[in-house]
Amino acid sequence: MHAVYPLVLGALLFAIGLYGVLARRNAIAVLMAIELLLNAVTLNLVSFSAILRDRYGMGQIFTLFIITIAAAETGLGLAIVLLVYRQRATADLGEQRALAEPVEPVTADELSPRNVEAEVAR
Amino acid sequence: MTPSYAPVAATGTFALTAWVILLPLAGAAILLIGGRRTNRWGHLLGCAAAIGSFVLGAVLFFALLAKPGAQRSYDQHVYTWIPVPGFTADVGFHLDQLSIVFVLLITGVGSLIHIYSVAYMEHDENRRKFFCYLNLFLAAMLVLVLADNYLLLYAGWEGVGLASYLLIGFWQHKPSAAVAAKKAFIVNRVGDVGLSIAVMLMYTTFGSFAFGPVLNGASSAKVGTMTAIGLLLLLGACGKSAQFPLQSWLLDAMEGPTPVSALIHAATMVTAGVYLIVRSNAIFDVSPNARLVVTIIGAITLMFGAIIGCAKDDIKKALAGSTMSQIGYMILAAGLGPIGYVFAIMHLITHGFFKAGLFLGAGSVMHGMNDDVNMRHYGALRKFMPWTYVTFGLGYLAIIGVPPFSGYWSKDKIIEAAFAQGGTSGWILGCAALLGALVTAFYMTRVVLMTFFGQKRWVPDAEGHEPHPHESPWIMVVPMVVLAVGSVAAGFLFSYHNAFVNWLSPVTGFSEGHSPINTAVLQVVTLVVVALGIGYAYLGYGLQQAPSTPPLGSFATRAARQDLYGDAFNELVFMRGGQYLTRVLVYFDMKGVDGVVNGVSAGLGGSSGRLRKLQSGFVRSYALSMFGGATLLIVALLLVRG
Amino acid sequence: MSILAASSTTATFVAPHVEFGKLSPMLIAFGTATLGILVEAFAPRKQRYGIQVGLALVGIAASFAAVLALAGTTASVVAQGSVAVDGTTLFLQGTILVISFVAFLVIAERKTDQNQDAFAAQGASVPGSAAERETTRRGWQTTEVYPLLMFSVGGMLLFPAANDLLTMFVALEALSLPLYLVCGLARHRRLLSQEAALKYFLLGAFSSAFFLYGAAMLYGYAGSVNLAVIAQHVAHPTAGSTLLYTGVALLGMGLLFKVGAAPFHMWTPDVYQGAPTPVTGFMAAATKIAAFGALVRVLDVGLGVNSAENVWRPVMQAVAIITMIVGGVLALTQRDIKRMLAYSAILNAGYLLIGVTSTTAQARAAVLFYLPVYGVAIIGAFAVVTLVRDAGGEATDLSRWAGLGRRAPIPAALLAVFLLAFAGIPFTSIFIGKFAIFQAALAAGSPDLVIVAVLASALAAFFYLRVVVVMFFSDPLPQGPTIAHPSIAVKTALAVAAFATVALGVAPSLLLHLANNSAGILAK
Repeated sequence: MHAVYPLVLGALLFAIGLYGVLARRNAIAVLMAIELLLNAVTLNLVSFSAILRDRYGMGQIFTLFIITIAAAETGLGLAIVLLVYRQRATADLGEQRALAEPVEPVTADELSPRNVEAEVAR
Repeated sequence: MTPSYAPVAATGTFALTAWVILLPLAGAAILLIGGRRTNRWGHLLGCAAAIGSFVLGAVLFFALLAKPGAQRSYDQHVYTWIPVPGFTADVGFHLDQLSIVFVLLITGVGSLIHIYSVAYMEHDENRRKFFCYLNLFLAAMLVLVLADNYLLLYAGWEGVGLASYLLIGFWQHKPSAAVAAKKAFIVNRVGDVGLSIAVMLMYTTFGSFAFGPVLNGASSAKVGTMTAIGLLLLLGACGKSAQFPLQSWLLDAMEGPTPVSALIHAATMVTAGVYLIVRSNAIFDVSPNARLVVTIIGAITLMFGAIIGCAKDDIKKALAGSTMSQIGYMILAAGLGPIGYVFAIMHLITHGFFKAGLFLGAGSVMHGMNDDVNMRHYGALRKFMPWTYVTFGLGYLAIIGVPPFSGYWSKDKIIEAAFAQGGTSGWILGCAALLGALVTAFYMTRVVLMTFFGQKRWVPDAEGHEPHPHESPWIMVVPMVVLAVGSVAAGFLFSYHNAFVNWLSPVTGFSEGHSPINTAVLQVVTLVVVALGIGYAYLGYGLQQAPSTPPLGSFATRAARQDLYGDAFNELVFMRGGQYLTRVLVYFDMKGVDGVVNGVSAGLGGSSGRLRKLQSGFVRSYALSMFGGATLLIVALLLVRG
Repeated sequence: MSILAASSTTATFVAPHVEFGKLSPMLIAFGTATLGILVEAFAPRKQRYGIQVGLALVGIAASFAAVLALAGTTASVVAQGSVAVDGTTLFLQGTILVISFVAFLVIAERKTDQNQDAFAAQGASVPGSAAERETTRRGWQTTEVYPLLMFSVGGMLLFPAANDLLTMFVALEALSLPLYLVCGLARHRRLLSQEAALKYFLLGAFSSAFFLYGAAMLYGYAGSVNLAVIAQHVAHPTAGSTLLYTGVALLGMGLLFKVGAAPFHMWTPDVYQGAPTPVTGFMAAATKIAAFGALVRVLDVGLGVNSAENVWRPVMQAVAIITMIVGGVLALTQRDIKRMLAYSAILNAGYLLIGVTSTTAQARAAVLFYLPVYGVAIIGAFAVVTLVRDAGGEATDLSRWAGLGRRAPIPAALLAVFLLAFAGIPFTSIFIGKFAIFQAALAAGSPDLVIVAVLASALAAFFYLRVVVVMFFSDPLPQGPTIAHPSIAVKTALAVAAFATVALGVAPSLLLHLANNSAGILAK
C-alpha cells in the first residue's frame, strides 16, 4: 500500500467534516462533523508516524491525547447544546442569532460627534 | 560668547532638587484626592508645601553659593520616560544659577501669597480647591524652570497653563470669569503651538530634547534653523508672557482671585517667556535677526501695556497693563543678547517683588471696599489702611524707578543696555524704554492718587452696603510688608558689587554695553522723565478730583480704555478675517474638503455597514469565513514561498 | 512497529526527568484547580464560595511567587523538551497571573448585584423554570466556575511556555474548554450567554481541528512536533516545503483565532457580548496574552529562520493590516459598549501583530510591554461595565450611558482613563506601548504597517472618545441606569488598574526594562 493513501483518506475525511460543519444546521450534527475533523487528523498522525518510522511514536502518542481531549470536548459540547436545546426547544444553529450586529444600520451621518447627543436623546 | 552648558550629576544636597517640586505636587495630590475631608486643614497643608519647598530652595541656593562660580551647574536625572531604542525622553532636573533664582522667586513669592490667601479666601467655600490649584501651579512652574530638557519644560509650560486656566476661572459662577479663563487658554494655545513646533524642530535638528546637545550644538547649527527656532520660541513666549500680539488675555485674566493675579499673572507665570528666551540664549546668540524681532516685540509691548495702564479705572487692570509693560522691558532686555540677559532676569526678580506687592495691596483695598475694583470709587484710603498705603507706596516708588528703590536699579540698566545696542535701533529702543518710564510714572502715580489720596468717592455696592474700609488682618499684611521690603532693598543688594551680574553671567554670558550717551547723563535724563510723569499725573489727579464717572476723554484715552483695541483688532483681523477666510474655505470645504471628509466618513460608515452584514450571527457563516481565511493563508504562504 | 523496535533496544524503562521546580507555576495552578474540585465535592454548599475564592486567590498568588522565584534563573527547555522556561515565558506567566488575580476579584464580586455573583444559580436549570426559582431562593451559586477558571489559568500559563505542538495543543484545550463553559453561565440574559457559549465552543473546536491538522502536517514535515526540531528542518530542508507552509497556515489559523485576528475574529464580538462581563474581561486580557505568547514562540522559535521568516512575514503583515482595518472600522458603528470593546480588542490584536511580525528583540520587547498594559486597561474597562446596571443586568447600550459622568463621576472617570489610554493619549501606558511597537516596526523596516496603524489609531480615537463625550457632555437620562457600589476588593482592583495605566504612562521605564530583559531570552 502506498504511504500516501492514508493521508489522502485523512484529507477526504477532513473535507467531509468540513462540509458537515459548514452545511449542517443541527448543532449535534455539527458536533459530529467536528469529531470527523479530529479523526481525520488522528488518521494523518498515525500515518505520518508509520511513514516516518518514528522511534518515539510521537504521532501515536499525539493521537491518544487527541482522543482523550476530543472526548472531553464532545462531553462539554453536548452539555452546552443540551442547555440551549432545553431553553429554545431547538438545536438549529440558524436560529441562534440573538448575538449579531443589530439589524438597524448606523448611518455614516450618525458618526459625526454632533449627532451623538441626538442619538443619546433618542 | 555663549557659555557652554556642562552640568555635573547632582549628588548630596543637590539631590534635593526633585523634592522642591515633589512637595507642592504632593500637596496638590493630597488635596485633590482627599476632597472634602481636607477642607479643615487643606489651606495649612498648601502653605506648608509651599514654605517647605522654599526652604529646600534656600538650602540649595546656599549650597550653590558655597561652590565656585564654574561649578554651580547640576543635573539630576530622575528617570527615563520613554527609553525605546532610537528615541529617549528623560525626566531630569537642572539646577544652576538661573534656575535657582527662579526657584527662590517662585517658592518665596508663592509662599507669601499662599499665606495671604489663607485670609483672603477665608469665606470662600472652595478654599481647599484654591490651595490645591495653587500648589499644582507651583509644581508645574517649578518643573518649567528646573527641567533639563525642552520636552519636560514643555510639560511644565502646559501645566502652568492648566493651573492658570483653573484659577482664572475659579469663580466659575461669574460668566466673565469663565469666558476669561477660556480666552486665556485659547490665546495661550497659539503660543504653545509655536513652542511645540520649536521643540520638534530642535529634536529633528539636534536629535535630542536635552539642554546640553541643543544649547552646545546651537553655535554649529544652521543659522536659518536657529532663527526659525528662535522665532517659534518667541511666539511661545508671547503667548505665555502676554506680549504683542498675544497680549489680550492678560487683562481679562484679572477675573481670577487677586492672589492669583499677584502670583501667576504678575510675579511668576507670565515671566516664563523671559525665562525661555534667556535659557535658550545660545540659540538667540547665533541669530541676530531673531534677537531683533524679540527687542521689537518687547518695545511695542512695553509702550502698549503702559498706555493701557493709563486709562484703566479698574485697579487690577491698570496693574495688569503695567505688568504687560514691565515684561515688555524684560523681553526687550532679553533680545539685546549678552548685554541684556542678566538685566532681564534682574528686572524680572525686582518686578516679582514690587508687582506682587502692588497686587496684594490692591487685593487688600478691594477686601476693604466690598470687592469694588473701580478706582473712581476709592479715594482717601491712606487714613483707613495705613499698612496697605505704606507697602503699596513703596512698591509704587520701586516700579516707577525712584532711587534707591529696586526698580530703579534694574530698569535703569535696561534703558542703558537698550541705548548700548548701538546704531539706529539702539536709539529707537532706548527712547521707547525712556518713554515707557515716563508713562509708567504717570499711570502709577494716577493709581496711587486715585486710590489713597483726594476725597472719598465711595459708593455703595449693588446690595446697597456702604463700604467700610478697614485694614486687612495681619496675615494679609505680613506678606505685603515682606514684599515691600524686597521692593525697597532688592535692587541695591543685586547691584552691590555687581552681585547679580557675577552670579548669572556663567549661565547667560555677559558683556558690558557701551552706551553712546554718558551713563550719568542718561540716569539724570531718566529721573527727569520720571519726575515729568509724576508731575503730569499730579496735575491731572492730585490737584483736581477724579470724577466718579469717567469723562468721555480724548480719542487716545478711549482707545486705551478699549485695551488699545486689542480685542477689536483681534476681532477685525482674526475673527472677521477668520470669518471671511472661513467663508472662502467653507466654499471649498463644501465642494472639496467636505466632500472628501464626508466621503471618508460615509465610506467608513458604509464599509462598516457592509462589514457588519458579515457579522450576521450565523455561526456557520463565521466558520465559513474562518475556512476561507485559512485557505487564503495557505495560498498566500505558498505563493510567497515562490 | 517503530515503538516495538525502540523498546526492544532499550532493556529498561528510564523514567523521564521532569524539572518540577521549573514547572511549579503551572503545577500550582492546576493543583489549585484540582483542589477546588475536591472542595466542590466535599465542602458544604454554604461555605464553598468563600473557600473557592480564597483558594483560587491563594493559588494564583502562590503561582506568582513561584514565577518570581524562577525569575533570573537561566533559560532552559524542561520536561524532555516540551516546556521552555525562559524570560519571555516568565514575563508572560507573571503578567497572566497578575491579570488573573484582578479578574478573579471582579469575577467573585457579589455586592454589585444583590449579593449574587455574575453566574447563574445552577447552570443546568432552564431560565424562568421552577428549578431555577428554587435554586435562586436557596441562594445556590455556581462555585464550580472558580476551579474551572483555575484550569483555564493553568492552561494559559502553559500555552506561551509550550515548546512542542502537543503540549501547546493540550494547553490550548485546557485554557479553552473551561472558558466555553463559563461563558454560558451568566445569571442575567441567559439566552445570550448560552448562545455565546455555543458559538464559542463550535468555532473554538473548529479552529482546534485546524490547529491539529496543521500540527500533523508539521509533524509529517519534520518528523517531530518539537519546535526546535522543526526549526532545524526549516533551516536545513530535506524535503519540499509545501507540507511545511500548509501546516504553518493551518496551525497559524488556530492561533490567530485565539488572538482574535481577522478574518478569524468573528466569534469575538458575539462572545464578548454574551459572556458574563467579568469573564469577558478575563478572556479579553489573559487569553490574548497567552495566545500571543504561543504565537511568538511558534513564529520565533519554530520558524525563526530567515528563509521561513521571509515567507510568513508578509502574510502575517497582511493579516495585521486586515485585522486593524476590520477592528477599527467595525468599532465605529457600535452601540453596545461590550461589542465596541470587542472590536477594540481586535484592533489591538492588529497592533500586537505588527510587533510580532517585526521579529526583532526590540519588537518582542515592545509586544511584551504592550500585553500587560493592554490587559490591565481592558480588564479595568470591563470591570467598570459591570457597575452600570439596569433591572435586567448590565446596561451595555451606549445611549444608556449618557451623562454618567455627572451621576457617577468616579466610575466614569475610571472608564475615561482606560478609554483615553486605548485612544493612545500621551502619559498613558498604552501610548507608550504603541509608541514602542511603532518604533520597533519602523526600525525593522515596515513603515507601511505603521502608517496603517496610525490611521487606525486616529479612527479608534473617535469611537473611544465618543464614549467619553457621551458620559461627560450629555445630560443624564431621567431613568438612567443605576450605579452599583462594588466591594472594597473591586474598588481596589479598579484603582490599581487605573493607577497602573497612568503610572506606566508617566514612568514606563521599569516595565520597559523588564520587558527588554525578558524578551532577549528565548530558550531554543
